[in-house]
Amino acid sequence: MEHNSLVEKLSLQAESFQEGFEILTKSRSFDELLKNFWHLLRGNFITTDIHLFHKTSKNINWNSINSERNISDSDLSFLCQDNLVPVTYFNNQKYNVVVVLHLSDSSYLGILFGLKLDGTGFNDFDKITLQILLQIFSSAHKSFINQNIEKKLIFELNEKVLQLNNLIDTGIELSRYENQKIVFELALERVVTLTNAASAMIRINDIKKNLKEKEISFPENLSHESILNNQHKIESFFEFGGKKYCLVLSEKETRKGVTSFNDLDTLLLQAVSRQLRASIENEYLLDQSLEKERIEKEINLAAAIQQKIIPKELPKIDGYQVAGINIPSREVGGDYFDCIDIGQGKYALIMADVAGKGISAALLVSTLNAALYSYLEFNLNLTELADKLNKLIYKSSPPDKYITFFIAVLDSKSGKLDIVNAGHNPALLLREDGSFEQIEAGGIGLGMLDLGISYSGQSLSINPGDKLFLYTDGIPEAMNLTEEEYSDKRMIDFFKKHSDQIPQEFIQSLVEDVRDYVGEAEQSDDITSLILKRS
Amino acid sequence: MSSEFNLVTEQYDKALVIKTNGYINNTAGEKIIHEFSNHFVSSMNKLIIDMENSKVINSIGISYLLEVIEKLNENNGKLIFTNLDPAIEKTFNIMGLFQFAGKADSLESALK
Repeated sequence: MEHNSLVEKLSLQAESFQEGFEILTKSRSFDELLKNFWHLLRGNFITTDIHLFHKTSKNINWNSINSERNISDSDLSFLCQDNLVPVTYFNNQKYNVVVVLHLSDSSYLGILFGLKLDGTGFNDFDKITLQILLQIFSSAHKSFINQNIEKKLIFELNEKVLQLNNLIDTGIELSRYENQKIVFELALERVVTLTNAASAMIRINDIKKNLKEKEISFPENLSHESILNNQHKIESFFEFGGKKYCLVLSEKETRKGVTSFNDLDTLLLQAVSRQLRASIENEYLLDQSLEKERIEKEINLAAAIQQKIIPKELPKIDGYQVAGINIPSREVGGDYFDCIDIGQGKYALIMADVAGKGISAALLVSTLNAALYSYLEFNLNLTELADKLNKLIYKSSPPDKYITFFIAVLDSKSGKLDIVNAGHNPALLLREDGSFEQIEAGGIGLGMLDLGISYSGQSLSINPGDKLFLYTDGIPEAMNLTEEEYSDKRMIDFFKKHSDQIPQEFIQSLVEDVRDYVGEAEQSDDITSLILKRS
Repeated sequence: MSSEFNLVTEQYDKALVIKTNGYINNTAGEKIIHEFSNHFVSSMNKLIIDMENSKVINSIGISYLLEVIEKLNENNGKLIFTNLDPAIEKTFNIMGLFQFAGKADSLESALK
């Protein structure tokens, strides 16, 4: 063929080649690419057969792409060409042309062309056309491979964005739930998604008892042993509140099967583990805060009960001066004092202290107060009154609750004092002449036991200038920062030294002395006292 | 969610419905592809995947769904997801699945 004629024919084909390239590059799969290429070859070469083959690497067998009939070994032997050129032309053979094209992804395309139907061999125009079509296929294939790489990169990029998003969401969602089971399940669901793990579990152990406490797996009901014994696993653990929480991931999935977890997976597992710990810690702190709030409410209620019972004002007694104080501690100790006008010039002076603190102590004081007012109305003698109170408190309080109780009924006209001391600190009596007595007689605290043993009473006289001082253990047992008590001795010395003050001033100065001694230390018990002075 | 992933297939004139149950991972993805290849016929133009009972999916599972989308595109078909858990819907958004697939609130509306 003359050169000019060849150029002219190829020029006419140029548009067709361009269209062919566009069709090939629009192929959505490799199979479609090969199919389209086969049609392109068919449209350009009028031959008996055109067979396409493909193999992914050099030393494996060819896969036939489009042949409906069986391809024989002798056919395939045509493809075993070690020529450096991709196209080999034959004369007088079953196949006119054999192509073995090395593709950009290291795979191979094989083509067998049968004889031309006009019986001629491949001329220059055919040979150039084939070269151009092979170049077109090679370019389209490269484009196809690049598109796949691009898709893979976009997928990986999206996957990373998803991981970051999931990690942030996991932190937020784990902190949203209080139910630990939901928190654990959510953590497992999120961590398998983040790492492509086939399964995961959380194991919780009691550290002290060295006992397994709980195991939760994802997917649910999966054998825990199959996760723990898997060769492809990673773990992360933390300890909190005496428990060890261990997160285990098993089998990282890929499209090609199971593989080992990588460093990023370990980091992601540790991140979820930290988020889980934060969630458990927050729940613990919330519980603590609610408990604190509950205790505060109880304390406030106890204080309200106690303050309602403690007298705001004491009665005026002709020929006597009386003063009292109650300073509740933060925890509300259950101290009680009173001075009750019971008629006919008689007054009941009371000092009591409930064992224990808080609402239960306050309620017991309330019971004592109500009962006391009732019994005093019946003008019972004090030992009988103490017996009745003992029975009542014994019945209406738990075994560990009792009340130390001191009562003195003053006949203001005669100065006679009838006294019962039920296990309370001794009352202190300082005579005008300086002599000093501690009044301890009586019996055990109210509500301690109910053995039918009567309380014993005591009578004495209070003369002009004498002072009777009642108190609770909050004064002698008040402690400073070095945990040393104020002590009975210091209190008695203070009483002796300052008893000439009017009762109200004495009590204030005693409280100040106690506070000076205690300093910055927190007041752990109520401070309560009552003083009676005969003018 | 049970330990074993399983699925149920329903065939309609123009649509194939696959209802999944469980964690959509590698194994589940293979099952979905297999079910799709076996039951999606040329008269159909729609594949509906009902994910009411699947709350967790990993990226391997997503890659299988993308493969299904590509196969459907070759056949001018469309994939529609129904009953998506909000977390999975967000995942599909980030992974770009809704550029090639639709979503419906219920199976009934997906079939319309």
